[in-house]
Amino acid sequence: MEVRTEKFKDLARAELQNIYSRRFLKVGPPIMVMKRDLAMATFPDIPAARAYGAAIKAEAVARLPELLEEFEKNATANGAKVFWARDDREANQMILQLAKERGVPYVTKGKSMVTEEMGLNEILSKNGVEPWETDLGEFIAQQLNRPPFHIVGPAINVPVEEVRDLFMAKANMKEPTLDPVQLGYAARLFLRDKFHHVRFGITGVNMAVAETGTIINVENEGNIRFTKSCPRTQVSVMSLEKVVPTMKDALHLLRLLCRSCTGQRLSAYVSMDSGPKKKDEVDGPEELFIVIVDNGRSKIYQDPKSREALRCIRCAACLNICPVYRQIGGYAYGWAYSGPMGQVLNPLLLGMKRTQDLYRATTLCGACKDHCPVGIDHPSMFLYYRAKDVLDDPYFQGQRRPWVEKRFFQGWSLAVNRSWLWNLGTRMIRPLLNKGAREGIIREMKGPFSGWFRQRDLPALADKTFRERWKEIKNPEIV
Amino acid sequence: MKAVSLFIPCTVDLFLPHIGEATVSLLRRAGVNPVYHEEQTCCGQPAINAGYQREARKAAKHFIQVFGGDEIVVSPSGSCVCMVKDHYPELLADEPEWLRRAEELAPRVFELSQYLVDVLKVEDVGASFGGKVAYHESCHILRGLGVSQQPKKLISAVKGIQMVPLNAADSCCGFGGEFANNYPEISEAMVQDKVENYLASGADLLLLCEPGCLLNIGGYLSRNHPGKKAMHLASFLAGNGREGR
Repeated sequence: MEVRTEKFKDLARAELQNIYSRRFLKVGPPIMVMKRDLAMATFPDIPAARAYGAAIKAEAVARLPELLEEFEKNATANGAKVFWARDDREANQMILQLAKERGVPYVTKGKSMVTEEMGLNEILSKNGVEPWETDLGEFIAQQLNRPPFHIVGPAINVPVEEVRDLFMAKANMKEPTLDPVQLGYAARLFLRDKFHHVRFGITGVNMAVAETGTIINVENEGNIRFTKSCPRTQVSVMSLEKVVPTMKDALHLLRLLCRSCTGQRLSAYVSMDSGPKKKDEVDGPEELFIVIVDNGRSKIYQDPKSREALRCIRCAACLNICPVYRQIGGYAYGWAYSGPMGQVLNPLLLGMKRTQDLYRATTLCGACKDHCPVGIDHPSMFLYYRAKDVLDDPYFQGQRRPWVEKRFFQGWSLAVNRSWLWNLGTRMIRPLLNKGAREGIIREMKGPFSGWFRQRDLPALADKTFRERWKEIKNPEIV
Repeated sequence: MKAVSLFIPCTVDLFLPHIGEATVSLLRRAGVNPVYHEEQTCCGQPAINAGYQREARKAAKHFIQVFGGDEIVVSPSGSCVCMVKDHYPELLADEPEWLRRAEELAPRVFELSQYLVDVLKVEDVGASFGGKVAYHESCHILRGLGVSQQPKKLISAVKGIQMVPLNAADSCCGFGGEFANNYPEISEAMVQDKVENYLASGADLLLLCEPGCLLNIGGYLSRNHPGKKAMHLASFLAGNGREGR
């Protein structure tokens, strides 16, 4: 899909004016966090459950090459065909070719973030294969031609009136209604027809179990199960960090994922597929293809610190708790992945030059880290990326910092271990900063610090710093 | 009298020195003797946040040299304490001797309310205030240090005070250092939410323990709601609700 991460500031500004998004953001994420907290509380020991999740993913990512080969071996033994795609282009071509060879006019799709990342839908429709998203939210977002607002609820911000109008226009709904049950029913009828004749289904993968060659999907609507069981041909697309060592590991991650994602102990449907339909089975595809997409991940894997980003299980707990996401929503991040997980992942996948704002538009408040079920330390990743910029890092395309800033920190570091110079510096800055101060308050300032003063005052620099006052108060009798 | 070393953050030293004085006063009331090393400068937080790790490392080493010999170091800022406790060992991971010194120092550095309540076992500092207050949970104090009950205990022990709940007390106020200046629209929306919750709480005063949050929330109040105030817990306790020592 189109990358608009460079436009973060403009998109964020526009979204701050979007009353529909903001109305949702005031209510939706806090409710999701509450549900998540209640569900997490069903663990006998929450920190232990999270530490276990972190350990599983850390191991899985550390052993990535070996586990992927094991998965390929076992999935192939189960009868699946495993394809490796170096990048989005290769993956899209493989899938398109499979569809073309089978002459299908359309495919149904289960919700899949990696296919969003790849822009698969555009490639398919450009080449005469119509992709139908069958997850309700994804269906709405696709019909409205919008990027996902939230990685779990892609159209969760769309007001019901807009859904009504959309379904009247594009989903054969007969009577206009705002009743969510009726709206859901209309979408269901419309999509049922697609499932009825479908010959080719595409889904993502939540977990791929190396030990058994099994792919696991989590959902609440049943559309993924339809997509996996109705058509003759099934393609499961996974980014390569989805692999986990054992079924036991997968089951614990499932517990964490459902709780963190939707506040459920288990989602309504969990599908575990080991290969295509066997001889004695009734349902299931006759051929199963698993496309393992790299698209920059092995490059991330090469750097031990960045590797932490590959732990993400796409639960969106970090989006729901993030105070910045709660103001601007998902569009501002400019790509498939939004919120803190996107801020961690996108710079590595897209390069830092194009994603400057993503790891700077954060207060480092740590709420994301606090809610992550697999132990990603988002703030420390942001600091790591910023350091890459300062070093002009070529590996992840660090963006050279402005000359003025570099000079400032040169001076700063000259003074930081020389207190006499430090004090001299603060004494010199005082009259400059206080020039416009009235009654001890600075109310406006032009230049690089004007952002602060749009809606905020600042106390003037004190006539006497604490250091200067200390001389007067260090003798206890005086105070 | 037991000596404790004062770690005064730059924001306090330059903009809010009364918070430093209040810290001195509270420590003396609690029966300890605050000392101040005049060689102290900055903990390095602005540098590490901007990605200048080499420069931050220099600040870390200076800090360790200045404070390394102290038994206890106390600061009226949680984020600066987090810098020393969490980031110094990371920054100095490749220099074993410095790493050892950083790790030895880390457990001896305390945020003020944490030190008063957890170490000195002091909750009542003899303050009184006839009004309602709410408490803002600053990110680095709450999530960085796990400190939340300590300031509330200090507040509850104030004579005549009524503490009222603050909706979304643990949500970030939108400061984030350079974030507030570089992404003003987002930051303003965040601080606006914080202030709306404060106004809705019915409190006469918003208390907090982080100078950064105070600059942000206080700066927004000063511009948009001049009648309402936010105050650092130290100056509140030391001045019985007035900004004082």
